[in-house]
Amino acid sequence: MRDRTLVGLILAGLILLVILNLPEAVSGRVRGFIRDAFAPLQDLVASASRQGQETLKLARGVSSLMSENQRLAGELARQRLRLNELERLEEETLKLRHLLDARRRAPQRLITCAVLGRDATGWWQALRLDKGTAEGVSAELAVTTPEGLIGRVISATARTADVLLLSDPKCKVSALVSRTQAFGIVVGNGVTPQGLPTCRMEFINVDRRHGVQNGDEVVTSGLGGIFPRDLLIGRLDNVKTNESGLYAEADVVVAADLGALDYVFVVADERPGAPPAPAARRAAEAGVP
Amino acid sequence: MRLLVLLLALIACAAVQALLPAWAWLGGAQAPVLLALVLFYALHYSRRWMLWCAFAAGLLQDSLGQVPLGCSCLCFALAGLWAQRHREDVDEQAYISQIIFGGVAAAMMTLLLYALLRFKGAITLSLADALRKTLGTVLLAAVLTPVVFRMVLGLERRLGERPALETGGRP
Repeated sequence: MRDRTLVGLILAGLILLVILNLPEAVSGRVRGFIRDAFAPLQDLVASASRQGQETLKLARGVSSLMSENQRLAGELARQRLRLNELERLEEETLKLRHLLDARRRAPQRLITCAVLGRDATGWWQALRLDKGTAEGVSAELAVTTPEGLIGRVISATARTADVLLLSDPKCKVSALVSRTQAFGIVVGNGVTPQGLPTCRMEFINVDRRHGVQNGDEVVTSGLGGIFPRDLLIGRLDNVKTNESGLYAEADVVVAADLGALDYVFVVADERPGAPPAPAARRAAEAGVP
Repeated sequence: MRLLVLLLALIACAAVQALLPAWAWLGGAQAPVLLALVLFYALHYSRRWMLWCAFAAGLLQDSLGQVPLGCSCLCFALAGLWAQRHREDVDEQAYISQIIFGGVAAAMMTLLLYALLRFKGAITLSLADALRKTLGTVLLAAVLTPVVFRMVLGLERRLGERPALETGGRP
């Protein structure tokens, strides 16, 4: 009996060793298979949760009418239900129209994706999207919203893709201040205890004389090959010099709301004959090379 | 039937864990629902069933997040083995035992996973942040473990794997 237990444990250990040392391609396929198999359920649970929240909101609204006349309360509840539905539809229509406008205006080909959920382990600031390689989403593509950049795709399977958010410390973006063209790196800074995603910008060879200010707009520089040029990241805040006292650094208030994302765009490629992006046009007009 | 219960419980726990957000004020701790399921199998069934559960739960957790494949399997299996080693010393039906087992296993799992991920260079989290996250995970596990135990027991009763509860009986 003791021998059998020992053999079982050794066997389990060996299986574990094999799993831990699987080649990247094989482990990617295994991971992709499980993720894709789980995606429909995750989608179902996420939409059920959204509907549940809506119902809860509605129930709260209805409970406040309990003191009124029964018939009027019923009528009011019905009207509220209808109004709630209309408001939800209006909100969704506006949101989708906003997304469609942004998509039409963008110089790049954008793939619209719904957010399925967040990283299930809590070690990363990451999202899971409902589209994958089958729809043209692949690793190392930028992900944005109409408000601004949110991160990059780090892995994709046939039906899902994972996005590392700007606030993750492993996410680094080559950026520039559009007013002064000062270069720097935007690095994720994690989440505050209040749940606010934070980033900071470390400037490269930019001292106080270059005059970057609070409120300056930060956009992608286009260097590095992942992020296209001129995608809005956010605005500078709390500009200060670093510990050596030579160079400037600042917090970045991200333009997109990283905590409340329903739909996002994956930036697939440049559209042929697309107009130049606004910051590039401004720089050209100002004579900046 | 036990296999069916295990499969259903794994799917439900993974779905709930993926749905629940990370708690920023608890250091970004994620509710360890799958770990609680592994503890249930560790405290109620044989080592073979616990290891099956640990491997399946680990693969699911790693696939639903960014953790390199196999890391969570190792952590779950070690936490399960630890729990099985000490299950004779306690009454596994008592809430306090479930709370303590959940808390200690969550601390072990989070710190071990942190060490593995740092070793592999997958994260850049500082030790202080990791300790804050560990504390948060311990709190969440202490709350969640009895709940998951009740849910799986209920599922087993519903599917006939365990006799139905008599009035006034213990779970």
